[in-house]
Amino acid sequence: MKSNRNKTAWFFLTGPLVLYLGWVIGPSLYTVYLSLTKYDGLSSPEFIGLKNFYRLFQDPVFITSLVNNIKWLLSFLVIPVVLGLVLALLLNNQIKGNKLFKAAIYSPMILSPIVIGLLWGWIYEPAGGLLNSTLSVIGLNYLTRGWLSDPEVVLYAIIAAAVWRHVGYVMILFLAGLKTIPLVVIEAARVDGASGWKKFWHIILPMLRPATVIVFVVTIIQSFRAFDMVNSMTEGGPFNSSNVLANLMYIEAFKNYRMGYGGSIAVILFLLMFAFIVFYLKQIMKNEVD
Amino acid sequence: MKKSFLSLTLLILLVIGGSAFAETKDVLVVNSYMSDPVPKEALAELVKAFEEANPEIDVQVSTTAHEDFKKALRIWLSSDNPPDVITWFAGNRAKYFIDKGLILEITDVWQEENLDEKFPRAFRSISFVDDEAYFMPNNWYWWSVFYRKSIFEQYGLEEPATWEEFLQVCQTLQDNGVIPITIGTKFRWTAAAWFDYLNLRINGQEFHLRLMEGKVSYNDPRVKQVFTYWRQLLDRGYFLENAAAYSWQEGVRFLANGEAAMYLMGQFILDAVPAEVAADLDFFRFPVIDPTVPLAEDTPTDGYMIPRKAKNPELAKKFLKFLASKEGQLIFIEKTGRIGVNNQIPLDRYTPLTQKGVKMIEATDALAQFYDRDTLPSVADKGMNAFMEFWAYPDRIDLILDNLERESQLIFTE
Amino acid sequence: MGELAIFSKKQIGNAILFVLLLSFVIVWLLPVGGAILTALRSMDDLIANGFWSKPEVLTFDNFRESWSTGMVGRYLFNSFIVTIPALIGTLFLSALSGFVLAHYRFKGNIFIYLTFVGGMLIPYQILMIPVFQLSNFLNIYNTYWGLVMIHMVFQMGFCTFFLRNFMRTIPVELAEAARIDGCSEFRIFWQIYLPLSKPALAAVGTLEFTWIFNDYLWALVLIRNDSLKPVTAGLASLRGQFISSWTILVAGSLLASIPTLLVFIFLQRYFIEGLTMGSGK
Repeated sequence: MKSNRNKTAWFFLTGPLVLYLGWVIGPSLYTVYLSLTKYDGLSSPEFIGLKNFYRLFQDPVFITSLVNNIKWLLSFLVIPVVLGLVLALLLNNQIKGNKLFKAAIYSPMILSPIVIGLLWGWIYEPAGGLLNSTLSVIGLNYLTRGWLSDPEVVLYAIIAAAVWRHVGYVMILFLAGLKTIPLVVIEAARVDGASGWKKFWHIILPMLRPATVIVFVVTIIQSFRAFDMVNSMTEGGPFNSSNVLANLMYIEAFKNYRMGYGGSIAVILFLLMFAFIVFYLKQIMKNEVD
Repeated sequence: MKKSFLSLTLLILLVIGGSAFAETKDVLVVNSYMSDPVPKEALAELVKAFEEANPEIDVQVSTTAHEDFKKALRIWLSSDNPPDVITWFAGNRAKYFIDKGLILEITDVWQEENLDEKFPRAFRSISFVDDEAYFMPNNWYWWSVFYRKSIFEQYGLEEPATWEEFLQVCQTLQDNGVIPITIGTKFRWTAAAWFDYLNLRINGQEFHLRLMEGKVSYNDPRVKQVFTYWRQLLDRGYFLENAAAYSWQEGVRFLANGEAAMYLMGQFILDAVPAEVAADLDFFRFPVIDPTVPLAEDTPTDGYMIPRKAKNPELAKKFLKFLASKEGQLIFIEKTGRIGVNNQIPLDRYTPLTQKGVKMIEATDALAQFYDRDTLPSVADKGMNAFMEFWAYPDRIDLILDNLERESQLIFTE
Repeated sequence: MGELAIFSKKQIGNAILFVLLLSFVIVWLLPVGGAILTALRSMDDLIANGFWSKPEVLTFDNFRESWSTGMVGRYLFNSFIVTIPALIGTLFLSALSGFVLAHYRFKGNIFIYLTFVGGMLIPYQILMIPVFQLSNFLNIYNTYWGLVMIHMVFQMGFCTFFLRNFMRTIPVELAEAARIDGCSEFRIFWQIYLPLSKPALAAVGTLEFTWIFNDYLWALVLIRNDSLKPVTAGLASLRGQFISSWTILVAGSLLASIPTLLVFIFLQRYFIEGLTMGSGK
């Protein structure tokens, strides 16, 4: 009986697994192989051992991109997570216009990244863009700058746009988590002022733990896969000051036709993400054993 | 749910049925990077004229934006199902694919159409590899410094011919609160134009092309010279501020609204401005720096190729012949203002400004394509980043060039 | 406090909160407002005066133009042809594998689950060339099928992860009872697990619809004919080498966002509900 059921399980899994192996796992392994070769996508790959990796760690652009990814990750773990949590707490009651507010806040999520890049490009436009003209109007002239051309701020300018898109997602995940907490607990915590803060910290936050874990996983993945925004707003420029690993990989593999080199970046990127996700996976394993 | 499933199935059937129906004609698939409105319309008109002359052929044009086209082309060429005709650039970028055996040889088209007679000699060298033709040049345009006539008149300025005169013009404009030179370097190639021209004027075309082929190093003192001249403009603030934040097209705005006076740009700038501004635009040859260096200009040439695995090479050749003919050339140039490669076109078919451009090029000693067409794509990528870094931190130039040299040597020796 | 007493402390608090949220949302939506305004202007106006200047005239021409010459209508149609089968396929396959991974205990269960999770982490841009080669080999390059397949399969990573977690919250007793009644394993999946997973399917389906619909890179790699391009790739070809009609491009982008917007609005309720139960465990 038991083995019969196992057979059924494998039978059901065959279709999905075959497809997944063909389109995702196989090509990924192939990429790992390519990372050990010199390959332009046209001639056949030529095996060169670990040369790509060796070169990678000497490439200043790779280092910049890696550091940028880490900056991105740190900003993403703080700003959208906190903002999303606050918004979720505020909107988790029967306030007027509640549904519309929610829809407005997560609406950036549904726009295609190209459109978002376009919109934020105009906000940051140095002459007459929304940000600079607003700053001049309120007398903060000295803050105006070319947000996407100044190598010191460009990365954060892009992160801000990415935050704009990500906050809605985080908010929804937290809202979903809050739904599992009885409303009375929340109300009590919100109204009581100082002791409410304590309640939030000691009661609500722990109860939100499952949602928080998902938020962190999603946020980490998003930070490392950061690509669309960078690609559509600056392509990593000026001179790579806003480059991130996924974009660097894309440019090397597709623009510069260095598939092997791009592949080696992909391998590093995957390992990095895996390292960050592993603590989450450990938890899964632990749960499974229980 | 069931209903939507049904309608979906119907839709899919309709699409499949629709494409099956279209198969009754010979289909010629043309993939083009002409995504700009004007050239796109021009190609559409060409196709219409070709289809009228050949009613048995159905030409299907697909347009992919320029940057994407460059990436996708490699995929198309390596697929078993490539387009029949593709647009492409003359020079190294074409040779790269020709050397890999991915392009169909079209020497017969050149012979049958007698193109050696119809095209100026210069186009033969960019179309042939080992005495066989692979590339069909179609049109070209010139680069020069475009400027607002009204602003120059207002401050009593003349077209500068030398570097000193050019600096003088810039100074006068700046003193009067006009931005001397507008530029949008977000996509970097506008900065590459400055590098090209300064190098062509200081070191000459021969040196320039050797640099492009990796035979001279970037940290050569002669290359450094280029940046000392460039720096003169940067240090005096002659360029638009925050240039890296603008696309080239956003940079045009400052020219259009009269805040800026000059723009080093290709002829296509005329498509980008409103008609009344275009009427106020004129151009001059990039100023001479060293009079002993022969004059050279960037004249990027665009054309067509046939992938070797194309399904309909005969139709494709027919289309190429039409594009090279006087009739085909006229349709394209009258719409776009670009210059046709076919010398049977009388000069007076061009606008006065284009005529001036043609005459300027005729009085030029040597030609280059453009930075990212003359060198390897990956080197161009590194090079343009280096230019942008120099723009932001001119003091770092020695380090920047050393890095660039190292990177480009790695790529050239790969 | 006398006169004010008609409002309770809570109501005042809510009123302040409302105003605060309202101002926040207005600032939040400024970029979208800017897009709408741009779409209503002419390109010459934009070039001459800049993006944030006062419009000279407002016109719907850009929308009309993007629909007709920009072929947005055709591209949208292609997007649906690709998105709907890919979405249904990925939901079905992921629900099936999610069901197996959640319900059966067998050797390799965790390993397979981790394979799906690992696939979620792959920087997908690097799969492009290999997947193109595969599609070319299978003769589905430059067809709707090529795109449908990669979307359907690639998204299985996230969907399986999500649905498997959700399905573990479904009590095993239900299945056991059905089994005693002689229910086949597939019917347990089809008639018990699938209906009970509706909220999760709606939630993950909404996200997936957005992601697949907004994809652009896969279309660039796997489709070369205009007649087959989905809307994001089609819109991208409106970007010129030198000249771009931003106004038309933005108008087209706004039109292209309508389907995802509608899906979100209609599924909002299920969306939050589904995520709730998915993250409940």
